[in-house]
Amino acid sequence: MENAPVSKYTISFGLSVALSSVINALLVVVKEKSQAVLAALQKISGHQWVTHSAIVLILFGFFGWLFARANGGQGLQMTVNRLIGTILAGVVTGGVIIIGFYLIGD
Amino acid sequence: MNELFLMTHVLFGVGCMVTAVWLFVDVLHAHEENLTRIRRVSWAAAILMWLAFFIGGGWYVVSYPVDKAIILKGPWPFAHSYFMETKEHLVIMLLVLVTYLPIAASNNLAANPEARRVVLWVAAAIVLLALLVEGHGAIIAMGVKVALLAKQH
Repeated sequence: MENAPVSKYTISFGLSVALSSVINALLVVVKEKSQAVLAALQKISGHQWVTHSAIVLILFGFFGWLFARANGGQGLQMTVNRLIGTILAGVVTGGVIIIGFYLIGD
Repeated sequence: MNELFLMTHVLFGVGCMVTAVWLFVDVLHAHEENLTRIRRVSWAAAILMWLAFFIGGGWYVVSYPVDKAIILKGPWPFAHSYFMETKEHLVIMLLVLVTYLPIAASNNLAANPEARRVVLWVAAAIVLLALLVEGHGAIIAMGVKVALLAKQH
């Protein structure tokens, strides 16, 4: 595979953006459908949205760090085209899930 | 005072969007002389978004329940049930995307067209998502207004 001409953090945190966006959307669906999850999120910080935000932000940092440590510390390798496609796919998927859920699923 | 606090949330949000447009244009013309400015602008966009997020988040947790009750009794209950519910979660995605901007802009954008493309796509996504979120905010504010107007008649 062609090595991407960007830093390992650009790739690792780019992938983390995509993954965090989808997790954010899935967490919306899960908490809205499960009173137990909503109550647990509420209990942790006092407000479910604060806990939700904190989880997504922590996961963004964690996955970015984790992906940067892959391949013996060289980070995940991919082409820039694939990186851009993955970021956009993650953001669009996350957005469509959230909008679709509140439009028709809730 | 509460309304002024809320307006700073809007101000910083719009500031982030305008800064992302500025960054997009600057990156289109990236060269050694504007690299430092590009990196500073990417940080500025991230800082503005974090300020908007903290101020808006604080207001949402503390003060929004009053507005929510007004909206739900008015003629536009969807201003909360769809627009606020969607906005409060899209904005988390926007925050993550903007936080990524300084990381993407830390590459040598003057020498590397591939790295420029990453920043251009991310900045464009930020602008579009920020516009969507700002539009949602306007409809939520209008939801309160039409509810209060309906109460008077």
